[in-house]
Amino acid sequence: MSKLSSFLIRALALPPAYTGTALLLLAAAWLRPNLLSPMLLLLILRQAAPLGIAAMGQSLVMRGRSLDLSAGGVIAAVAYLLTSGALPLSEPLALLLCLLLGAAVGAFNGLLVVGVRASAVIVTLSVSMILSGIVIALSQFHAPGDAPQLLRELARTRWLGLPLPVLGWAALLLPAAWLMRRSVYGRAMDAIGANPRAAELSGLPHLRVVFIAHLASGLLSALSGFVLLGFVGVGSVNLGAELALNSLAAAILGGVNFGSGRGGMLGPAVAAFMLALLFNFLTSLGLGEASRLMLQGAIIGAAAWAYAWRHRGSGQH
Amino acid sequence: MSTTIRSGLSRYTLGLPLLLVLGLLASNADFRQPQNLLNFGGQIAALLIAALGQLFVTLLGGIDLSVGAVMSLSSCLLAVQPDPLWGVLFALGLGLAVGLLNGVGVALAGVHPLVMTLSTATFLQGLAHVVLPIPGGRIAPALTHAASGTWLGLPHSLLWCGAAVAGVAWLLNRSRLGLHFYAVGGQARSAYLNGVNARALVVLAYMACSLLAAVAGIYLTGRVAAGDPALGSAFALESVAAVALGGVQLTGGAGSVTGVVAGALSLGLLTNGLNLFGVSPFMRAVLTGCLLLAAVSVQRRRIVGM
Repeated sequence: MSKLSSFLIRALALPPAYTGTALLLLAAAWLRPNLLSPMLLLLILRQAAPLGIAAMGQSLVMRGRSLDLSAGGVIAAVAYLLTSGALPLSEPLALLLCLLLGAAVGAFNGLLVVGVRASAVIVTLSVSMILSGIVIALSQFHAPGDAPQLLRELARTRWLGLPLPVLGWAALLLPAAWLMRRSVYGRAMDAIGANPRAAELSGLPHLRVVFIAHLASGLLSALSGFVLLGFVGVGSVNLGAELALNSLAAAILGGVNFGSGRGGMLGPAVAAFMLALLFNFLTSLGLGEASRLMLQGAIIGAAAWAYAWRHRGSGQH
Repeated sequence: MSTTIRSGLSRYTLGLPLLLVLGLLASNADFRQPQNLLNFGGQIAALLIAALGQLFVTLLGGIDLSVGAVMSLSSCLLAVQPDPLWGVLFALGLGLAVGLLNGVGVALAGVHPLVMTLSTATFLQGLAHVVLPIPGGRIAPALTHAASGTWLGLPHSLLWCGAAVAGVAWLLNRSRLGLHFYAVGGQARSAYLNGVNARALVVLAYMACSLLAAVAGIYLTGRVAAGDPALGSAFALESVAAVALGGVQLTGGAGSVTGVVAGALSLGLLTNGLNLFGVSPFMRAVLTGCLLLAAVSVQRRRIVGM
């Protein structure tokens, strides 16, 4: 086997996020070199931060063979509470309350998934529908407005030349990656993902681990809403609506699959960057919305296909 | 721990639409009008047909999020095609092709159904905007008549519902193929070892789902008498909701046509009732969500997660 083909085989074995990012960077260097200036790359990285944070939560629940589609509803609720002036609280207190809301939604999801053994797809989808429905109905009375000054300031702040949202993302990512690799919780999660029944028979707290993952995912959705809101500046009822499904795509492109943590925490993060780069690249090509959607669907599908083909038979399928 | 029966039916799945009907009959005079009942049939036909397609996929433990995009694209194809016959053939062909792609991706390549169908949905949505950028176009009168005409006093919408229900019910309950669906959905490995070609069945399920989505799209296009690239945008999740309300297990192996009819009826009755009471359509999403939560909470499963 030649060197090149063995290199190609190894590249295909990596989660598609890595190969995809490399290919996209190459394509951008060829067609749109401006996109690769450090300043624009940092902006793209900042744009990827909300998706990256949501993808962390998603990959956490997916490792435990569950799923969280409630990010859209949580972000809509957070954006509404923070921008409509419905909460007569000081900004830090309002932010704290929103974090609590995220955790509460996550806990509610977890309770139904674990306690009632309801299907996670239906539970989290319904919760998202309920939250966004309430937000839209309420915005007839209090229209969403500007994001809190504090969030907008934070989104604009740079430290050592790096935007604060990116640093915040890294500050969440690195401890999480370390925890999932080294902590008892991470080990328990790996065992449960690999074989829930065996893990439970060995005395691992199966239900508690999945519950905590859901709680963390709700919390991370709220955080991702903060970053998105600070970055966009104004609230709207469909802010973050596609984040739930995009975070699922990011987790899978990052190598995480239901019950398998292959790809770790870094994979979904790279995938979030890849998706943000893809959106920007397609926009910079001057494509309309229609062709952008077509290419986006085709590229995500092809990446997932290539990776699944390489790993077929080794997963749960 | 209770075990689920194969039909997935419980007194809750069947009781819910019954309760809704009785409640609406008692509380709202407009609901009792024959005109409203005819309207109602037309309103739920598209959802029922799409949900019957979703049933095939969910019986095998999959999920299809491209249902809405297939409906939208078939509507656009019908709007730009002057000859209705060719338009219908194109739309049905599209359904089969999309289903084949989804099925091969899931069954042979092993892509997760959510990601596979999500990416085809994104692609098809883009294509729909290319084919017909803004709602409009000309729909042949024959098609409009086929969707909203009457026959012997019966609205055509009921015939579409009846044909779809009868076809799918025959396939699942009376044919060998239907037995294979339940066998593979219940335990794919055992079914495979007993000689069922599980992979081919998955491909077939996705093809049936997309084909029925195309039929739902054709029906709805005829009913609204215009092409619309966003026609089906709500139907991917609505069809999953209808299936789940009908007691179909998303992990596969349990579900029935009766359940899907009950689920689609419940969702339709909810919409119709809230319209009659003048409740904001956004509160309908809230109520649907609550109903779904209640429905999944009364069916305790063995598995934790998905």
